[in-house]
Amino acid sequence: MNKKNSDYKVEVKNLTKYFGDLHVLDDISFNIKKGEFVCVVGPTGCGKTTFLNLLTRIYYPTEGDLYIDGESADPKKHNLAFVFQEPSSLPWLTVEKNLRFGLELKKVPKSEIDRRVEEIIRLLGLEQFRNSYPHQLSVSTAQRIIIGRAFAMNPDLLLMDEPYGQMDVKLRFYLEDEVIRLWKELGSTVVFITHNIEEAVYLAERVLILTNKPATIKEEVVIDMPHPRDVSDPKFIELRKYITSQIKWW
Amino acid sequence: MKKRTVKLSVAEQKQHNLEIIYKLLPILSFLILIGVWLLAASVENARFPSPTAVWERYLLLCEKPIKKIGLLGHVLTSLRRVFIAFAIAWSSGIAFGILTGWNKKMGAVLNPIFNAVRAVPPLAWIPLITIMFGTGEGPKILVVFIGAFMPVVVNTQAGMSNIKQLYLNVGTIFNANKYQRLFQIAIPSALDAIFAGLRTSVSSGWMVVLAAEMLGAKAGVGFLITRGMESGDQALVLISMICIGLVGALLAIVMQIMEGVICPWTRKK
Repeated sequence: MNKKNSDYKVEVKNLTKYFGDLHVLDDISFNIKKGEFVCVVGPTGCGKTTFLNLLTRIYYPTEGDLYIDGESADPKKHNLAFVFQEPSSLPWLTVEKNLRFGLELKKVPKSEIDRRVEEIIRLLGLEQFRNSYPHQLSVSTAQRIIIGRAFAMNPDLLLMDEPYGQMDVKLRFYLEDEVIRLWKELGSTVVFITHNIEEAVYLAERVLILTNKPATIKEEVVIDMPHPRDVSDPKFIELRKYITSQIKWW
Repeated sequence: MKKRTVKLSVAEQKQHNLEIIYKLLPILSFLILIGVWLLAASVENARFPSPTAVWERYLLLCEKPIKKIGLLGHVLTSLRRVFIAFAIAWSSGIAFGILTGWNKKMGAVLNPIFNAVRAVPPLAWIPLITIMFGTGEGPKILVVFIGAFMPVVVNTQAGMSNIKQLYLNVGTIFNANKYQRLFQIAIPSALDAIFAGLRTSVSSGWMVVLAAEMLGAKAGVGFLITRGMESGDQALVLISMICIGLVGALLAIVMQIMEGVICPWTRKK
């Protein structure tokens, strides 16, 4: 059955997760196409992060499973990259070494690492911070390292967990465009979790709305608008308002 | 650069004055110490040597070294003992700490024994070691080793068992194998804890070597103190004490510099 749906990058089937008695995810099923940009929105604490952590096998599902390219998700086989919500740069490495870290673990040839890291440093404007340590940088700059580290992997599947939550508006807009540009250039499949509905409508081809805990999918909204999108476009505003009304956790 | 012309506000001026005071206070406290020393020495019938008497004794010591070894020679003898002990204690202590802190099974087997042994202060080992091995160089180094080994192990273990889960998750995402997890994530992230252990081991080792030397040695700062005590030479005792203090402080500074070089990310912004 998996082989039939070969244009799906990610297939989630009846995914359920309990932490002890706490029922976090309830029978979630959906698919993500190859090269698709999907945003997951939902109330705070509804289990969005748990969902991503299941994809990367930091957690294992209680019932059901997730498949990447038709195989049970496994970081050993799949080229995944993850942008954590918290600053996850390694404090003992300089900016440049942080960017090289994942590539070196995967034993990518040195010349290729040099090329990719230089490109990321240039793209994210990190030249002046190359030899700085993360604690010497602002929170938003430190988060740029993490985003750079993920993109440097040229991942098949890029998972982003509220990566811009701690950034100022200007940098967020800039990096949102950056993510779109890199996504188009590299053809990666992106799952982007956010609680910022405007961000979701700005980025995604499809938005998955989760319910409160135990979370299940309430609705899927296809955003059929070309990039770059105009946040003041009436259609954009209409979609934003619609998704907001569908979440209503306040 | 353009010279600043803006005048400091009253509050800024106050803050500036406070900063100057904080810089002067340590000098003041040092002066008070010397003052108290002078006062103690000036009391009638006092047998306590004055700073000048200590200085003169120092000059005499340079002229007529004890056991034909100059003051510096005695310091170096003590330092040689601690450095040999540190080399052994640090390499074995870090390895043992990593093993028992990282590998839960090894920790479960070895930690109870280690904790029982750790409860015995290093000085309490001296009699047993003296009976078994005598009072030569080896036994002294062994006592210092015990004093330096314990803090290195305790801190390394703590560092290795408290690694931030997030860093290990980063390893999981990038599919790090177990060696990469250990050598590229766990150990680097525990380095500041390991260094805290090394710092403690330096002060502890320096303390223990003096005790070991006081109980029977032919050279070393601890030996000098005992010699002073036996001959009622208070000035010699004081010289030795000052030496011990200075060397201890120097060692601490060296450790701080070493940490800055090896773990540059622990430096302040």
